[in-house]
Amino acid sequence: MSLFVKFWGTRGSIPTPGSTTQRYGGNTACVEVRTDQALFILDGGTGLRELGIDLIRRYRGKPIVGHMLFSHPHWDHIQGFPFFTPAYQAENTFHIYGTPEGDRRLFGLVSGQMRSDYFPVDFSELSAQILAKDLDSGRIDDVVVKALPQCHPGGSFAFSLESQGRKVVYATDNELDELLPDLDASLRDPDAPRPLPAELIDFVRGADLLIADGQYGEEEYASKLGWGHPRATTTVDLAAAAGVKQLAITHHDPMQSDVDVDAKIAVCVARASRLAPKLIVFGAREGVELKLA
Amino acid sequence: MPDAPHSRELTLTGTPLVVEGSRPPRPHVIEQIRGPGAPRRIELNGVQIVVGREGDISIPSAQISRTHLRLSRQGADYRCVDLESRNGVYLNGIRVHSAVLREGDRLQLGDVVFLYFTGSAP
Repeated sequence: MSLFVKFWGTRGSIPTPGSTTQRYGGNTACVEVRTDQALFILDGGTGLRELGIDLIRRYRGKPIVGHMLFSHPHWDHIQGFPFFTPAYQAENTFHIYGTPEGDRRLFGLVSGQMRSDYFPVDFSELSAQILAKDLDSGRIDDVVVKALPQCHPGGSFAFSLESQGRKVVYATDNELDELLPDLDASLRDPDAPRPLPAELIDFVRGADLLIADGQYGEEEYASKLGWGHPRATTTVDLAAAAGVKQLAITHHDPMQSDVDVDAKIAVCVARASRLAPKLIVFGAREGVELKLA
Repeated sequence: MPDAPHSRELTLTGTPLVVEGSRPPRPHVIEQIRGPGAPRRIELNGVQIVVGREGDISIPSAQISRTHLRLSRQGADYRCVDLESRNGVYLNGIRVHSAVLREGDRLQLGDVVFLYFTGSAP
């Protein structure tokens, strides 16, 4: 009985191929979560393309049933979908979840990017069954799924997945710093505590793994207020306050090289050692798979 | 298979890689810097290589499972997979189930530590 988490895309905003981003990867947001019974795909950035290739290899012609949870429909979270090969195979089924009940906007935006203005293959030509579903907190196979609205231009959702006594929270594109009661004071004194809303902390509480937006370093954030992403260090405060075991910082800024991400993560590790010494912090990296046993 | 504990330099053949019309793949290397057998440098030439007490890369340590880790060639890369080992596989300090390896990665298996280098390393 295990829960597997694999990072297929950890870059924010736009793909960044190249020699300086090889370690953390250049594909945009996509995470696979797998239990004994269910396959979840969290966001469909360009990492989704390679996940699709791998699913076909693994399933060897057997039907693939996947649950696709999109945090929001910004490009870097949906642009891999037209290149998701399993969607072109009739034996497969994918459930696309929007929130809350009755909201088909997300499904419309994911499918709309395949209109002929944008892409040569129309959504209606996909052979797989692709179904719009509501996601108000509930159970999907052996997983309890919850959603929480976040602070991001246009809105976004965090997802909590609990199964077999393990909890994973995926919380990207969330400008945590906007939620601080005194952001100016926090910018003046980065070492000061950063109290975050109780509802958010409760949502994340006790997670074995928190995969969270940490796009910016301290200096970068100063010129990016309101862009929808936090300082990576504020994400550490969230993880520490919520008693998280492991924090994977993701949605790396496209301007950050591997060396830059290493430096950003080093600052986060130092902050975590002060706030929650048992908290494990690392940079989410394409191609890395964790097993939460 | 060469006798690993007595080898300073070891070439693993495994299943040969032949890609028509292409140059031979770059040699990738792991350097064992800690644990029984260290130091040694191992050139990876096989498609699949098992590290363990009874692996292709044999390590006589009680902290290593019989078959602990598999290294698989995937295109230009190597991927490591924990073979349900008792003590796990740590990539740069983080316990992982699998990972595509990158230049300079540090793999720890019990009391054994490897560094991974691609053929492009200076």
